Amino acid sequence: MIANSLGIMAPILIAALGGLISERAGVLNISLEGLMLTGAFAAVVVTAATGSIVLGLLTGVLAGALLAFMFSIISIDFGSNIFITGLGINLLATGGIPFISNQMFGTKGVLRFADMTLLPRVVFPFDFRIPLLHDLLFGHQIGVYLGIALTGLVWLGLYRTSFGLRIRSVGANPEALRLRGLSPERYRRIAIILSGIGAGLGGGLLALRLGVYLPNITSGRGWIALVAIFLGYRRPVGVLIAAFVFALAETVSMAAQGIVAVPNTVLLSLPYILTVIAMVVYSAARAGGNRRARSPR
Amino acid sequence: MKQRPSAATALKLAIVGLAAVTFAVACAPEEETEVSYSIAVFVPGVVEGSPTYEMLVDGVRRAANERDGVAVRVIEGGFNQAEWSEGLTSLSATGEYDLIVSSNPSLPEIAAEVAEDFPDQRFLILDGYGHNHESMATVLFNQREQAFLNGYFAGLVTTHDGLEHVRDAGRIGLLAGQEYPIMNEVIRPAFALGAQTVDPDIEVDFRVLGNWYDAGTAQELAGSMIDRGADVILTIAGGGNQGVIAAAKERGGYVLWFDSPGYDHEPGVVLGSSIIRLDTIAYERTLEAIEGTRSFGVSEVVGVREGYVDFDTEHSLYERHVPSDIRAEMEEIVGRLHAGELELEMPRL
Repeated sequence: MIANSLGIMAPILIAALGGLISERAGVLNISLEGLMLTGAFAAVVVTAATGSIVLGLLTGVLAGALLAFMFSIISIDFGSNIFITGLGINLLATGGIPFISNQMFGTKGVLRFADMTLLPRVVFPFDFRIPLLHDLLFGHQIGVYLGIALTGLVWLGLYRTSFGLRIRSVGANPEALRLRGLSPERYRRIAIILSGIGAGLGGGLLALRLGVYLPNITSGRGWIALVAIFLGYRRPVGVLIAAFVFALAETVSMAAQGIVAVPNTVLLSLPYILTVIAMVVYSAARAGGNRRARSPR
Repeated sequence: MKQRPSAATALKLAIVGLAAVTFAVACAPEEETEVSYSIAVFVPGVVEGSPTYEMLVDGVRRAANERDGVAVRVIEGGFNQAEWSEGLTSLSATGEYDLIVSSNPSLPEIAAEVAEDFPDQRFLILDGYGHNHESMATVLFNQREQAFLNGYFAGLVTTHDGLEHVRDAGRIGLLAGQEYPIMNEVIRPAFALGAQTVDPDIEVDFRVLGNWYDAGTAQELAGSMIDRGADVILTIAGGGNQGVIAAAKERGGYVLWFDSPGYDHEPGVVLGSSIIRLDTIAYERTLEAIEGTRSFGVSEVVGVREGYVDFDTEHSLYERHVPSDIRAEMEEIVGRLHAGELELEMPRL
């Protein structure tokens, strides 16, 4: 159950971490969905052409970064509204990919290639057999380890480097940065590109696990990632928890479909309901904790 | 000094250029000749990637090509069901088409409403039933027989001891994109009936994806079914089918296909496939309509006996990957349905 949840969590988490960086720099990137879709498409095409998962994933990252770079040109240099730009990028991805796919492969639909390399599960040279711990630690897709490592990396980057401090100050107070002789636009642009990298990688991981590209392969995961940023209080570990809670709820609803005598249609909405409940409980507990901490003794 | 265009301007120009090309391509006129009979194929969705709609368009075009002066125009109605009625209404309102052909279980109802306003418009609706409107002919496939064949095959597979990924749980799976009346009341029970005809103890693990496209979630769902003992899964989930294949490849299992031959999707994993001959019936009924021999106001049900529902046993991958005893039993059951020895009537919903 935990292994399945981690697998579902990984692409959402990685996209959300990228989105978190740009959100902290003051740009709410609503184009995560389109960026993931682009990453997925590029990753599948290049993996099929070269047989290399690594090259495929790198191309997915590059495609996400390029599209995000375009986002930054339109929003920063042309000064257009970031929401409209984000929507535009999403539309460009959903409309542009079928166009390119049709030009390259003569189909706008499912892209399936013979002998496609699939994402491997990570095999460790050591292992131990403590039941729960074993399930938690071993045998996952590479994306799960990447996602957790990236959570740490983003945390380090945001809170323990001067670069992270600048990214955060662009979001909180861009004027302060300007007064120090630094360009807020530059940091915003970097943050947007980083969000493209995260979304491109997330999309690539999702598609390479399936080994195919199909229209709407991301199915709203970019939007879930966006929600996870806020449910996670705009902090890396919070985002990790939010993405995991959602994935766990989804796993529970899937497992329940085969067992519980509740209509499947009801169970399908369970992940969304459970995620909201979990987050309400969490924020209530947090608010309670803060009140206690502040109350005079 | 002459200014060079900035990167931003170049990008803008590129986008405008791309849009112009797309528009020009979309508006390119079809070749025109003397037209005596005009057909509109209304696709409730998009043709690309949908084998049934490809068959529909293929069948109608084939019929049109057999006679001179028949024009066919394909209109894609998109996935938003709310817009189909509008699409059909505007097609009928043009008065240009002698016949509108479509295919989808929800179309007869929509077309019947449109027909009230445009009594001269003829409709041919495949894969749908009822609403005996005088200007509409419908053809329904016997999906009870179709699902029964899939179930029977799944039963043979899960009780077989010579197949690599078969375990002894006696469990098979069915993944549906969504729950709808024909799924709940025809396909699901008939699939179970087919399997239980082989062995009454076989259990069916039924799951729903909730949409027709999320292959990632379908992969997890199918994985969870395989983990709980389902060795073979019938997938009727549109784009989600790709996720079922990925799960079966990843964890070891078999996949069954519905409506069109699916063997090439993953040789050795997609083990069996029931088929409907939508292209043949689209061809035959359209030709009858062109010739004026088709009677309207009729709803027909076609199945194995009439040759429009079958289990694809001809494919080379089927012969290569399916053990000969299973193949022999499938031949026999299809033969019994064909001869009318076994009758599975399609219920009217």
